[in-house]
Amino acid sequence: MPVKRTRNNKKVSLKTPKRRKARLLKTPLRKKEVVSLAATTKKSEMPLEVAVGESKFYLGEQPSKMYHGQGELPAAYGKDKVVLQTRDPWWIHAYWEITPTTFDRLRERLKEAFFSAKRVLRVYDISQIVFNGKNAHRFFDIEIRDETNNWYIDTQGPGRSWCVDFGLRLANGEFITIMRSNTVHTPLEGPSWITDEEWMIPDDLFARLYGMGVGFGSSPLKLKRLWQERLKRELGSGALFSISSPRKAKAQEKGFWLVVNTELILYGATEANAKVSVGGQAVSLRPDGTFTLRFALPEGKHSMPVKATSFDGNKEKTITPIVTRETK
Amino acid sequence: MNKGYLCIVLHSHLPFVRHPEHEYFLEEDWFYEAITETYIPLILVFERLINDKVDFRITMSLTPTLTSMFADSLLQERYLKHINRLIELAHREVDRTRWQPEFHPLAQMYLARFYEARHTFERYSRNLVNAFKNFQELGKIEIITCGATHGFFPLMDVCKPSVKAQVAVAVRHYERLFGTHPKGIWLPECAYNPGDDQILKQEKLNYFFLDAHGVLHGTPRPKYGCFAPVYCKSGVACFGRDLESSKQVWSSIEGYPGDYNYREFYRDIGFDLDYEYIRPYIHPDGIRVNTGIKYFRISGPNNDKSPYVPDWAKDKAGEHAGNFMFNRQRQIEYLFDWMQKKPVIVSPYDAELFGHWWFEGPMWLEFLIRKIYFDQDTIRLITPSEYLAENPRNQVLTPSMSSWGWKGYNEVWLQGTNDWIYRHLHQASDEMTELAHTFAHRHTNGLLQRALNQALRELLLAQSSDWAFIMATGTHVNYAVRRTKEHLLRFSRLYADIKNNSLDEHWLADIESKDNIFPEIDYRVHQ
Repeated sequence: MPVKRTRNNKKVSLKTPKRRKARLLKTPLRKKEVVSLAATTKKSEMPLEVAVGESKFYLGEQPSKMYHGQGELPAAYGKDKVVLQTRDPWWIHAYWEITPTTFDRLRERLKEAFFSAKRVLRVYDISQIVFNGKNAHRFFDIEIRDETNNWYIDTQGPGRSWCVDFGLRLANGEFITIMRSNTVHTPLEGPSWITDEEWMIPDDLFARLYGMGVGFGSSPLKLKRLWQERLKRELGSGALFSISSPRKAKAQEKGFWLVVNTELILYGATEANAKVSVGGQAVSLRPDGTFTLRFALPEGKHSMPVKATSFDGNKEKTITPIVTRETK
Repeated sequence: MNKGYLCIVLHSHLPFVRHPEHEYFLEEDWFYEAITETYIPLILVFERLINDKVDFRITMSLTPTLTSMFADSLLQERYLKHINRLIELAHREVDRTRWQPEFHPLAQMYLARFYEARHTFERYSRNLVNAFKNFQELGKIEIITCGATHGFFPLMDVCKPSVKAQVAVAVRHYERLFGTHPKGIWLPECAYNPGDDQILKQEKLNYFFLDAHGVLHGTPRPKYGCFAPVYCKSGVACFGRDLESSKQVWSSIEGYPGDYNYREFYRDIGFDLDYEYIRPYIHPDGIRVNTGIKYFRISGPNNDKSPYVPDWAKDKAGEHAGNFMFNRQRQIEYLFDWMQKKPVIVSPYDAELFGHWWFEGPMWLEFLIRKIYFDQDTIRLITPSEYLAENPRNQVLTPSMSSWGWKGYNEVWLQGTNDWIYRHLHQASDEMTELAHTFAHRHTNGLLQRALNQALRELLLAQSSDWAFIMATGTHVNYAVRRTKEHLLRFSRLYADIKNNSLDEHWLADIESKDNIFPEIDYRVHQ
């Protein structure tokens, strides 16, 4: 939860209660929850671009074979480490490994206090400063369960720089850093407000260009909202970037269904050196003079004259099966 | 006099899938299908245009994994086997559909296409790199490179040596294949992390592409939006994608590929026909898979599909090409008026959209190129290099982190289904850096050198963004997980064996023969 320190060093939430509720829903918590969240937001919401990308790998509805790997990757590498990565303008992801040895050492050092201490990710906003551990613009803590090893963090801060400490927060409020992460930057969520003197452009013209760029025609709408609106549309079931009809057809529920088709096998035999045609089209014989044809059989009455001619062309014989398909 | 330019970019990529240890391997079909449905149809389009003396420019990224597969003799053999089976099936289909006038001509169409695919494949000595190289030498297409194995750069930020290796290995590979230095690069997934342009600079790459917001959200503001390139501080140029022209192809409302007259991708005889009949042409284990023979058109929003009518589809493709060109003309006239210089509209697409997903895509592209050449003079096709030569003075800014993936950033590749891979990938990358440092100045040869080079191959193969993408989309997840683990496990065994001086030559030779990509690789680039 984002917090700031007041003058008497108490932490207060920066969020209104309403926002907090929304955030609870939004924040992926443990790994399991992340998985289920990803599962529900997966396919059906992904746009056509993803569907096409996926179609490269689409060979049919059947799931591919199970593969049994020759081994498993190590669960741990035996090194204290915290790594941050940027997901988007708002969210960053942290993963970490803290070795049992490190915890043992802390337990020895802190004695009783260790057991009441909370494992915490302390998230620092360190935009445009050289961070020394104490000069962050603000920070907030996220309590972590023992078995968790990664976390998605809602920074609410596009265009800023972040770093986290994995550490222990003791009952008395003291924070002990175990491991510090790398620094990441969240990108801006809209156009920069910085302009270049030499490459100046009036606001309304830029708005028009921006509109064209993000796909809103040339109407000079308010800049600030445009990009967020596009993102929202992509997130929701909206029209612009949702899935086109071929993809929809695939996803559509079929319900209970039945398909029936008919095929016809026409087979026979003659002298091995004879020539055979069906409805005027030559048929190739097997070495022993037999032949087999397989036809899709559509509705209606079909006559299939089978004509055999001897190798010297002197003798001829025709047999004409007449087949009717009538579906009720 | 033209008033602006259109730069069409086709990004062609498949991950490296090659399994000599199996007689048949399902996932290799990705490659074989793409050859028949995308790469050969595009080659035929380019050939026809050249024969008809229609001047054109297309920019193509052919990823190092894809070109490695083109050039691989085992996969070439297997493609021939694949296309021969399809030809056999198409022959049987021509017979079978004889009393069905709505399908019979379609069966004949597929038979002719498969013969043509095989013929084209043989004409280029079974190596399609030759085709694209030829078009480049004729000045019609500009081939650019990509990350060596399509690694996702922003999620390698904590191990920059891997980004360097992705770029350096790709450039060496390109030089070996095309006999010249690549002019530009397609960043895998168009994913950019500010500062990565420095690495491109070191490899003398002149330009790359970003999604629209990568440029529009750059600092300071781009004066010309996405309609002129910008320079990063490193001096590498960056072209922004035009979303309006992308939208016309992608959008569910205006998007072309969803037209009801176009061929339906999801109805394939591999699933529709009698099991015993189709069995020799599907997975040897009897699992139904796509064959590539599809008889229906999209028809409408529901599951009832009508037979495909090639003439209707062709008319539509022509109409859509005309519509696309008309819209670009309006866009360029508008932009030219107030920019007071010639804008460039950058329209990048996944090449596999053309032909595979959108069956009529290559035809649409051919119509578009012919119309642009014959019917108007507002627009001209251009490559990024030509545009930069004509317009060397551009604004300098720092583009924003971005990708062309869903939601525009890194979420597709960093989410609950795939985030577990990064701790392992980063660890392996750090270990590779350590090896490269340890043996940077030492003279290595023989077994040790082979092991070091193989270690880098395994690491690069594990880094393909495709594995994370597949984990996120849910098709072939097991395979993606298997590949990620397999390469990482091979890497970590090599790392341990190198450190303990306990290399097993037999095993090394085995994985060298399986993961035989980048024969020219030098582990020292991973620093």
